[in-house]
Formats: sequence, structure tokens, C-alpha cells
Amino acid sequence: MTNVILGRFLQAFLLLLVMSLIGFIGIHSAGNPVYNIVNVETASAEDIREATIALGLDQPLWVQYARFLENVGTGNFGTSYIYHLPAFGLLLSKLPATFELAFLAMLLAAPIGTGLGLLAGRHPGSVLDGLILRSSVFALSIPSFWLSMLLILVGAIFTGWFPSGGRGETSSLLGQNWSFLTLDGLRHLALPVLALAIPNIALIARLARSGTVEVERLDFTRFCRAKGLSPSRIRLRHTLPNISIPIVTIVGLQFGGMLAFAVVVESIFAWPGIGKLLIDSIQLLDRPVVMATLTFVSAVFVLLNALVDITYSILDPRVRVSA
Amino acid sequence: MIGMKIKRALPHPALSVSGIILTCYVLAAVAAPLLAPQNPYDPLQIFGWEASSPPGSTGSGGYRYLLGTDGLGRDIASGILYGLRISLVVSLSGTIIAAVIGLSAGVAAAYFGKWIDIIIMRLVDLQLSLPTMLVALIAIVSLGPGIDRIILALIIVQWAAFARIARGVALSETGKSYMDAASLLRLPSYRVIFRHLLPNSIAPAITLLPVEIGHAIALEATLSFLGLGVPIDKPSLGSMVASGFQYLLTGQYWISFFPGLALFGLIASINFVGEDVRRRFDPRGSSL
Amino acid sequence: MGKKLRMGMLAAAAALGLCAASVLPSTAQELRVATSYKLLTLDPHYAVLNENIALLSHIYERLLYQDEALNLKPGLATSWKRLSETQWEFKLRENVRFQDGSAFGAEDVVYTIKRIQGFLKPPSGGFQAYAKSIKSVTASDPLTVVVETDGSVPTLPLQLSNIFIMHHEAAGFRTTEELNSGALANGTGPYKFDSWQSGETLKLTRNEDYWGGKPSWSEVTFRIIESPAARVAALVAQDVDLADFIPARDVEGVKKRGLKVESVSAARSNFLQFDLGREELPEVTDKDGNPIPNPFRDVRVRRALAMATDRQFLADKILLGYGTAAAQFFPNGLPGTSANLVPEPPDYEKAKALLAEAGYPNGFNLSLAGSSGRYPGDGETLQAIAQNWARAGIGVKPVAVPFSVFETNRAGGKYAVWYAGCSGEAVDICLNAVVASPDKERGTGALNYGNYRNPAFDDALAKARTIEVGPERDAAIARAAELVMADQPVIPLYHFHHISAYGGKVASYTMHPRGWTTAMQAVPSDK
Repeated sequence: MTNVILGRFLQAFLLLLVMSLIGFIGIHSAGNPVYNIVNVETASAEDIREATIALGLDQPLWVQYARFLENVGTGNFGTSYIYHLPAFGLLLSKLPATFELAFLAMLLAAPIGTGLGLLAGRHPGSVLDGLILRSSVFALSIPSFWLSMLLILVGAIFTGWFPSGGRGETSSLLGQNWSFLTLDGLRHLALPVLALAIPNIALIARLARSGTVEVERLDFTRFCRAKGLSPSRIRLRHTLPNISIPIVTIVGLQFGGMLAFAVVVESIFAWPGIGKLLIDSIQLLDRPVVMATLTFVSAVFVLLNALVDITYSILDPRVRVSA
Repeated sequence: MIGMKIKRALPHPALSVSGIILTCYVLAAVAAPLLAPQNPYDPLQIFGWEASSPPGSTGSGGYRYLLGTDGLGRDIASGILYGLRISLVVSLSGTIIAAVIGLSAGVAAAYFGKWIDIIIMRLVDLQLSLPTMLVALIAIVSLGPGIDRIILALIIVQWAAFARIARGVALSETGKSYMDAASLLRLPSYRVIFRHLLPNSIAPAITLLPVEIGHAIALEATLSFLGLGVPIDKPSLGSMVASGFQYLLTGQYWISFFPGLALFGLIASINFVGEDVRRRFDPRGSSL
Repeated sequence: MGKKLRMGMLAAAAALGLCAASVLPSTAQELRVATSYKLLTLDPHYAVLNENIALLSHIYERLLYQDEALNLKPGLATSWKRLSETQWEFKLRENVRFQDGSAFGAEDVVYTIKRIQGFLKPPSGGFQAYAKSIKSVTASDPLTVVVETDGSVPTLPLQLSNIFIMHHEAAGFRTTEELNSGALANGTGPYKFDSWQSGETLKLTRNEDYWGGKPSWSEVTFRIIESPAARVAALVAQDVDLADFIPARDVEGVKKRGLKVESVSAARSNFLQFDLGREELPEVTDKDGNPIPNPFRDVRVRRALAMATDRQFLADKILLGYGTAAAQFFPNGLPGTSANLVPEPPDYEKAKALLAEAGYPNGFNLSLAGSSGRYPGDGETLQAIAQNWARAGIGVKPVAVPFSVFETNRAGGKYAVWYAGCSGEAVDICLNAVVASPDKERGTGALNYGNYRNPAFDDALAKARTIEVGPERDAAIARAAELVMADQPVIPLYHFHHISAYGGKVASYTMHPRGWTTAMQAVPSDK
């Protein structure tokens, strides 16, 4: 077991190294960020060269990368070219916004999705089952940016019920600013949370449905039925626990995914989270921030994957984890 | 034998509504120059002063802007037809090349084993443990914008899934007795690979194909939406939606609504067809 | 179960309490501004960026400043005169105190200039350009400063109008890091520093002892909101009282909500620049795709392309009326502009004829490069021009990329003709930077990336720039502009408008053509 975990971490470490190298070269080859720092409408070529030297961007790429690795070794991703703040600190300051978005979306998606899945799986092939299955394919087919726009169109522009973007009023808790603590913040949260939740409802519903179909075919459910237990009791006390492992897994993975995949939703709703920070920093070639974000998101993902695998191997001895 | 397997796997086109819709999409894309009243890539056919016309207004070209015009005066309906072509070409070529590369890599890993297997499968594991969006973002930032780069990015994102499936199937085949026979007969390895392993791996890969094409279309649209995709003068459906986003708040909904609807219909019909395909392969119907 | 429920209720109650605390009504004297200006530093000499100049002008002041017509007005200096060709004398305002209570005097001016000249190192070197021509600064008495320049510098006051005066420190020069901590922010301005979160907020309070009388607002909060849609949303939701850089397409909606909108034609322009330096250019080919010699070296080609550019379309349709079609670097009417330079309506037939005369009866193909998302309407402009030029037989491939990618490629010589911008304190700065011959010694042509050379214009501009600031100088600069624009080294496209909107708490707001956003421009309503 220790070997397995060690192997996992070694693999994760290699992955992060490769990712960072590719990202580093990618951003470097895209352009010189110095043009976002000096005022190019007044700066002379001299100013631009001097600023480039000051940021260390005149050095050969491998020197820059070595310097980057050296810094990361001490937990320092460098200073943002644009914000002049430590990149990792900047990332952490955007984390609450993304976290509350992803968390609320999951809070909405997990129970609704599971409920729909149980309903559909009760009578496979029934009209309700077909309807839920079909709707889920539709929900999974909507491109997230278009879904977000539709929500803005309906929820903000036509009806004016919700604001079209931004984080609204925030309130402080545990030293961080949160939107879900204020009424105004909740109104701002509504649309982006829906945009993230809808595809996840569909995904979880499909998973729960196939699990239900499988479980209800098994002998013990038949026994329960023969014993005269009510269908709803069977479903809640027996089916649900039996399908919960894959659901918990997908919820965990999707939650991690939302930390990364919220890029689109965050940029459409101008939600100041990690995804928006990443896409803005890519556009501005703010390499320290891009590197910090990529590393963070990859690390979260690798960790979640490893956790899922390890939990599986503990819960189900049939599954063997290969290092 | 393999041919029969595939035949059984393919959906009966006459029976599936989504299949018909998908066929219409492909036909419309192929016949775009015949169907579209305007060639949105030819600046001489565009009347800039008619920018942001609402749906149904008649333009100087003597035809109706059925779905309105965008902020530069391009007919949205024509733009959708031409954009469809780009979306389809990009996603199809990306996915098919990825499938070929993935299949070959997976089969090679299974057949040769040892360090080839280790290297290929570690790479696959690495990639599948990250969200596709993240991999695509890194790839496109490193490669730069352009249609060829997007295709390349799609290949990078997708090959791993095919490789994993192909390896699984090929591995189970290598355990079968005819493989032992083949090695006893000293058949050359290319024969074993091309006559036995590859054909057997193709069938499961086909179930993956529609899903992956759907993903590829959505991914291309998303990248283009974020401004990292196709060039601005030849918009795909995704970049059409993006260019309309800024007009959304003023109520000029048609610029992004209709291209988005077309995109949604395309992905949905592909996904339904994919469902059909899978159901035929997996009669228990329990898969996701 | 019961315990869980109680905990939940407690949490809910706590949340409600926080909620109530956070929606306390703001005081009537507080001005809340949503700005796109991402203040990056509290060091007033760090970088010449509009965001630093606009936001830090609350805390720090200059010897003199530019008003809305770009004329110089007395600030910390009450008067200035030129003693000789190379000597200037500035009389300083009496009874001015820094926010920490110490008196303002000539020493502070000397300290400031020395900090810029000798202490700050790149990348914080932007202000050195303004102090470069200064040979020495001396305090002849506590309220008089004499500045000696290298050679004749008639625009020295204009240059000094950019420089914020800091309080002199016996201990030596303050570093940027020290200033960024905020505790040391100490100027003479109408508002005092309260708090700052980089990229998020800047909070200021009234300087009760301000020499110019009590400032209008008791508190000023700038919220940095980069997304235009979010700025508009914040204003509409009355989260802020004033928002800057409103997108033109949102103006109607904002007005409908009962908010007021002000706009002004910006003291700047966006234009197309040609590469004239090289024999052959990337992606400039005949219609069959074969490379051709640099066609832009022929003035007829440049004129033809200018004729085929529908600038009114850009102003009316791309910028939705919040832009002015341009034929020179600053909007007509500002000092140094020419009334004779007006944009011509497009004439595709004439353009075609001129191209044929230049030897391109079938036109040619080119790539037109530019940034996307940097300036209002930049990406769309490239596509609109592609449509225009097609009517004159020119095949255009528009290329829009993020700004820093664009600049990297432009500096790497990958473009033949591109979209660029220029702004500055005065129009001659743009003329000097963009179309004067590149010459490091003389400090000309810093932005002349196309390597355009016109000795007659160079002379005319250099002469005009030696004249004292006044109508005579403006007229000479306008004549030089007419001379060079006849040769069409660039095609001016538009001066976009700065647009701000405000709610009921603000009675009126004066726009500044340099695009600054300050509390001083806002007059509170009586309510």
C-alpha cells in the first residue's frame, strides 16, 4: 500500500514537472509580457529593453526555467508581472470565489441528480426513464458558454431578476470574502451556479440511474421486496447506499473539475475566481500567475484522482491499484 | 466476421431521428455555398452599414437576413452554414487522427509490452488524470492560434482515450489461443497486428468515436469562444457566439443565440447517435 | 439531530447578521467609483500609466496640471517663467502642508526630481523621460525653484505637469516597496490614503487641511472592476456612484435606468502604420501569392488605401457613435491640431484608379495585424477595413491577437501594416514619436516602427518644437502635421471617446480628454 501511494506521488510529481515545462515554454513563445507593463504609447525602445532585463526575460529560456524551479522549491512562484503581488498569494485570494461557486453548484447538483437517477432507474424503459435520459443528453450537449448566455438572456436581460455578472456584495468569514453570506451576493451567485450545476445534474442522474438498474436486478433487492418492504424504503435504505460510491466519486472529481473548468462560466459572468484569473493571465502573458494556477489545478486534480483510486482499493478488494 | 460486428453496431439510419438530423447537418455543411445567400468570407458580398440588422430584414444584396446580421454586417444564417463546415472539419479530422494514433499506440503497447507499454501507458495515465480543458488550454497556448493548431490540440487531448481502450482489447486478444498459435507459426508481427489486433480494437473504438467528436466540437467552440481558436475572419460556430456576446446586453440576442442553437443541435444529435451506437454494442444498456 | 439543527440555525443567524452589517447605507458624502484602472503601485514615480496618474493624483499633486482643454494650470507652483534659454523659475504656493503636517517647499521639488533621475531603476523608470532634459534643480529660496536644462526645452512646464511631488526625507529615498506598504503615502493632495488592495480597491479620506479648500467628498472608494459589463452592472445596482470606460453599446441601457452619461473625444488616436523600411514585406503578395516589392513605399498606394478606408463607419457602427473619425493624431480643436485635416469619405473608384496608376491594376494581398481587446473596437476595425479595402481590390487577411503577442510580433518584424495607437500630453509628442525619422540622439521617432523618413517634415517639426508654448507654436505644429499627412505615412482611423456614467449622488462630472477618473471631477449633488 505504501508503495502504491509513493508511486502515485512520484507519478504526480513527474506530471507536474512536465506540465510546468510545457506551460513555461508555451507562454514564453507566445510573446513578451513587458508590453503590458510599460506604456507602449510613450515608451521608447530603450525603456522596453530595460524593463525586459529587469524582469529577467532577456535570459535564455533554460536559465529562466531553472530560476523558476529554484523559486518553486522554496514555495515561491514569483511575482505577478501585472499585479506586482506574489503569484501564489494572488491565486489563493481568488480561491474562495471559485470554491463557493463550485461548492454551491455541487450542493444543488448532487441531490437533484441522484433523485432523478433513482426515479429513472426504478422502471427502466418507462416513459419517465426515457424522458430523464433524453433530457440528460440534451443537458450534456449544451456548450457551457451558450448555456451561460441563455441564463443571462433569460435571468438578467428579459426578466431583470438577477444581475448579469460580478460577485456583488461580499462579507468576511475566516478572513476571506464570501458572496454567499449576503443577499446581494446570493443573487449574483444564482446564474453562474445554475450554469455549472445543470450539466452535473445530468451526469449524476445518468450515473445514479445505471447504478439503480444494476442494483435492483440483484438478489437482495428481490428479497427485500419479497419481505414486503415498501419500495421507497428499499430505495432509500438499500439502493442508495449501494450506488453511492460511484456517485461520491464523480461528485469529487467533478468538483475538482469545476475548479479548473469554471474558466468559461467565470469569464462570462465576470466572476473573479481562479478560472478567470487563468484566462486573463494567459491573455496578458503573466507567466508567474499562469504557472501558479496550472500547478495548483493540476495538483488538486492529481490528488483527487489518487484519493479516489486509493479509496477504491480500500473499499473494494477486487480493484487493485497499479503503481 | 469483423465486418458483421461493425454492421451490427451501426445504427439503422432510417430509425433514428437524431441520425436524420445529423445527416442534414452534414449535408448543409457540404452544400453551404449553394444554400447560403451570402459568402461571409467574401468582403465584397458584405454590406457593413447593415450591421446588427434584426432577423427578417432585407439587405442590399436583395435577399432576406433570415436570422439577422452580426456586428460587421455578415448574414448570420450564411455564417452558420459556413461556420458549421469549420466546426465539422476541425472536430472530425482531429478526432479521426487522434483515433488512428491512439489505436496504433494502444495496440503497440499491448503487443510489444515491456518498456514500450510502460512509456505509452504512463503518458496516457498522465493525460487522462487531467481535465481535458486544461490540457487543451496549455496545448493551444503553446501552439498558437490557427485552424491547424486547433486540430493538433484536439489530437493531443483525445489520443489517450483511444489508446487506453485499444490496449485493453488488444491485451485480452493476446491472451487467446489463436495468438499462441500465431507465435508458434512464427507469423511476422505486422501480420499479427494488422490482421488480428487492430481489427478487433476498432469496434470498441467506434463506440467512442461519436462521443469524442461531440467533445471535440464543444472543445473547439469553447477555445474559439475564449479567443484562442480559429482566425477572426473565418469564424466557427463558437467564435460567432463569442462575437455576439458583447451585443447580448443591448438586446441584440440573435448574433449569439442562433449560432449557439445550431451548435447545440449539432452536439445533441451527435450524442444521441452515439447513444444508439453504444446501445447496439452494449445490449445491457447499463453503461453511462 | 436536534443539535445539528441548532447549529444550522446559529449559522443562519450569523449569516443574516453579517448580511445586515454589510448593507449599511453609505454616507451621503462618500463617493464610490468603479474604475477599470488597475492601480498597480502606490509609488507615484513607478510607471507613466494613466491608472497611476489618475488615481494617485488624489494623494499627490504636481507643480502644474493640464485642464480639460489641455492647457496648463497652476498647481503647487503659482507661476513660472523662463529666465533664459536654459533656465526656468517656478514660484511655489505658500502655506501648503503635506498630509503629515510638514510644510511644502522647494526642497521637496528638488528631492522629487532627484529621486526620479538617480534613484529609481527599471522597470520603474518611466518618468525618467520627463526629467531627462533637466541638468540641475536648485532651491534659490524656500518657495522658489530654478531648473536648468540641457539646451532649450520650451515644454519643460508640460513635462513637469506629469510629476507628482513627494515629501523629502532626510533618511534618503523611499523605495517602491516601502511606498507600496501604504503607510508612507504622504502628498499635498485633497485626499489622504486610507487603504489599498492591489487590483481590488483604493480607499481615500478627505484631507481636511487641503490648501484649496475643503474637498467635496468625505470618503472616496475606488473599486477596480476590469470587466466593462460588471462596471455597468455595479452602477445600475447602485453599488457605485460613478463608473468609467462604459462600453458604447451599454450607453442606451444605462441612460434608460435614469443614470447620466458624459463623454469626451480622447486626446489620442488609433491609426494604421505601414512598414516602409524593408524592400519586401511578410505576407504582401500579388493576387497569385507571389511576393512583390514593398508597395507602401509609393505614396499613391498609401493615399489609395486611405481613400478606401471608411472611417465614419468605424466611428458610427463599430464605436456606435462614441468615436470621432480621424485625419490627424488629436481631435480637431485641441492645441496643435489643424482645421484643414478632416477625414475624407471613402471613394473606392478613385482608390482603384490610383492603385492602377501606381502599377497595381489588380490590387494585391496583405495581412492587416492588430490587437484584440486592447482598444475599443480594435478587432472589429481590422475586419471592417478588410471589407473596405476589398472594394479597392486589396485582399486583406485580418489578424487579431492579444496585445503583448501583437507587440512581440511587431517588434520581430512579422507584420507589414498594423493597427496602433498614440497618446500624450500634446499632439506634437505623437507627431514626434510616430512619424518623425527614428533618431535616438534627437529623441525622435520612438514609435516610428515603420521607419518613415521625411526630412522636410523633420525640420518643420523640430523648428516648431523650439517655439515657446502658445498660439504661434500650435500653428507651426499644425502646419507640420498638414505637411506630413499629405504624404500619408499612417492612416488615422478614429479618436475613441472616453465615456463615464454616474448616479444621483453626483450632480455633474467633467470628463478629461486624457481619460483620467478622479473624485475631483465629480461635483456632489445637494441631497
